[in-house]
Amino acid sequence: MNFVLIFLITIFSLSLFFYGRSKTKSLSIQNNIKLNALPKFYGYYLVLWCSIPALVFLLVWSLFEPVIIKSIIIETAANQGAIFNDKNEANLIYEKIKAIHLGTFFGDIDSILKESAISYAKFINLFTNSKIVLIFGIIIASVIYSLKKIKNNNKARDDVELILKGLLFASSLIAILTTLGIIFSLLFESIKFFSVINIFDYLFGTNWSPQRAFVSDASAITAAEYEELKDAFGFIPLIAGTSFIAFIAMLVAVPIGLFSGIYMAEYASVKVRRLAKPIIEILAGIPTVVYGFFAALTVGPFFRQVGESLGLTVSSESALAAGLIMGIMIIPYISSLSDDVINSVPQSLRDGSYAIGATKSETIKQVVIPAALPGIIGSVLLAVSRAIGETMIVVMAAGLAANLTINPLESTTTITTQIVMILVGDQEFDSPKTQSAFALGLTLFVATLALNYIAQRAVKKYREKYD
Amino acid sequence: MSDIKIKSKNLNVYYGDKQALFDVNLELNEKEVTALIGPSGCGKSTFIRCINRMNDVIDICKVEGNIEIDGIEVNDKELDVVSLRERVGMVFQKPNPFPKSIYDNISYGPKIHGKGETKSELDEIVERSLKKAALWEEVKDRLNEPGTGLSGGQQQRLCIARAISVNPEVILMDEPCSALDPIATAKIEELIDELKKTYTIVIVTHSMAQAVRVSQKTGFFHLGKLIEVGKTEKIFKNPDNKMTQDYITGRFG
Repeated sequence: MNFVLIFLITIFSLSLFFYGRSKTKSLSIQNNIKLNALPKFYGYYLVLWCSIPALVFLLVWSLFEPVIIKSIIIETAANQGAIFNDKNEANLIYEKIKAIHLGTFFGDIDSILKESAISYAKFINLFTNSKIVLIFGIIIASVIYSLKKIKNNNKARDDVELILKGLLFASSLIAILTTLGIIFSLLFESIKFFSVINIFDYLFGTNWSPQRAFVSDASAITAAEYEELKDAFGFIPLIAGTSFIAFIAMLVAVPIGLFSGIYMAEYASVKVRRLAKPIIEILAGIPTVVYGFFAALTVGPFFRQVGESLGLTVSSESALAAGLIMGIMIIPYISSLSDDVINSVPQSLRDGSYAIGATKSETIKQVVIPAALPGIIGSVLLAVSRAIGETMIVVMAAGLAANLTINPLESTTTITTQIVMILVGDQEFDSPKTQSAFALGLTLFVATLALNYIAQRAVKKYREKYD
Repeated sequence: MSDIKIKSKNLNVYYGDKQALFDVNLELNEKEVTALIGPSGCGKSTFIRCINRMNDVIDICKVEGNIEIDGIEVNDKELDVVSLRERVGMVFQKPNPFPKSIYDNISYGPKIHGKGETKSELDEIVERSLKKAALWEEVKDRLNEPGTGLSGGQQQRLCIARAISVNPEVILMDEPCSALDPIATAKIEELIDELKKTYTIVIVTHSMAQAVRVSQKTGFFHLGKLIEVGKTEKIFKNPDNKMTQDYITGRFG
């Protein structure tokens, strides 16, 4: 139904474009007046006025219709004698009524439900009809309004610009509101978690094993239960594992990425650069899950074999394998960003250094790199935030057990891995175990946000200096 | 007549397919200022960049012919560019101090060439160079501040100090005052007058007045050819060539 309506509104308003354009043309000829804008702007004006109010109304209506119908139906069902104790049971009854209406309910239908289904059908009909009537009313009203404006030779160009500006603003508002929505949902769930688990026990606990966290009733946790619980949600092993793997990744990515960036910017001929740069950037295009199974199936077992032949115990899921592969994944970020910042160091600085007799490598080491340093630091920080937020590789290759270890050959785990583990499968949404995923998400979000902020500041500071 | 320091013979320079210099034969005298004038793109800068082989940096640039400094061939493939540039310093059009402290800007060259082993030796070089560049009094209390924080004229004098820190014999200046105001320009010109007692100076300039003020010898370039060269007085008072006459009187260029 909605699609038909949207289609009709679109067709109708688009056809108004031609009407508006020719109408204003003939008006100006008839009355011999100078139009305030080109005729096509009057066409746009009609299109926008006719489509936007109707579409916005349709959107708002579609958002509220189910909610309102649901509350009415549940109420009438209750009046007819349906029995439910809490919200969940009410929801269940509502779903049953809907299924009966759609003919997809299989089971015993009692008279109350049947009655309700009939009234549900009535309401649906009523709402749909009134929706159509209202939309046509809105379209007619806005067409009359805009036609009147056009006949008065309004400043259609300015008005169209204003409406377009409003549309663009609305788009950015949606983006911002979505972000805020995500942050708040993270925040609220985390607050629920922290109302059960003390934030200090979370931040400084050294043991993470949420699968142990069984609570009979989340709303009433006894002191003895809490002692058990607080031992299950210690953040330290996760942040340690995350930083450790990110550190290994950086050990791989920073030197290789930086050196290849320097090579690209300073040494490579135009031909080599044109060929090599896209190839390096292909690395950034490989899906992380591919890196993940490469790490888990090839690199991990390879390390274990090598380790065994050297007499070391290497777990097949190791921080080393995950970090190494993650480092390879990050190389292109660092290399292409540092290539860019090195390129934007002015040639005059290099000339100054060459002119005093410095060699190329001396110039790079002592003049170019120091000049590009803030930008390079920025690119490394961006890469770090990429590394700690990376999920697929560590889920597949780093392991699941939260070991507090600095041995790269043992398995360890990360924040992202634990979020995945907690939320895979069936969940009780009021248990601290599930809510801890949101707390982890929030912590990760704050960490990456801080890193990105610092990185951008560093890059910006650098730009100011040379523009 | 002083001794000849630099001598070019049939110097040709190409940027890719385009020829930038045509058979330039020019002799520059020791401890004298030679000004090179001419319209933009006439090859003045290309010529001085041949003297310290700065054209090596440009991939597509090809130099043919000879340039000798004290009889030693500059274009010799075997020649050590590092020690050539130690002998021939350069100051650029736009002041280009390194993003380092004033002190490090000056000590950069000596360190590269292994001069000034100890801190006190380096201190001495820095002080001497800054004094020679007439900048010491202005910056002696803030040697650790970044060189980029100085004013344009101070930055250019810092670059001159940087060039003389390694005790060169020749200083090349590529329009050193084009980015500076008249007062800063006057200071640099005064400095050039002082420096010519110690160094052989080649200056590229667009300002004819500047050429008259600072130089003893002037060469006029046009479209990659050296049209006329001679004593500055003569070039500006009664040049032999009609084109030189037209240029210095502002009829073209």
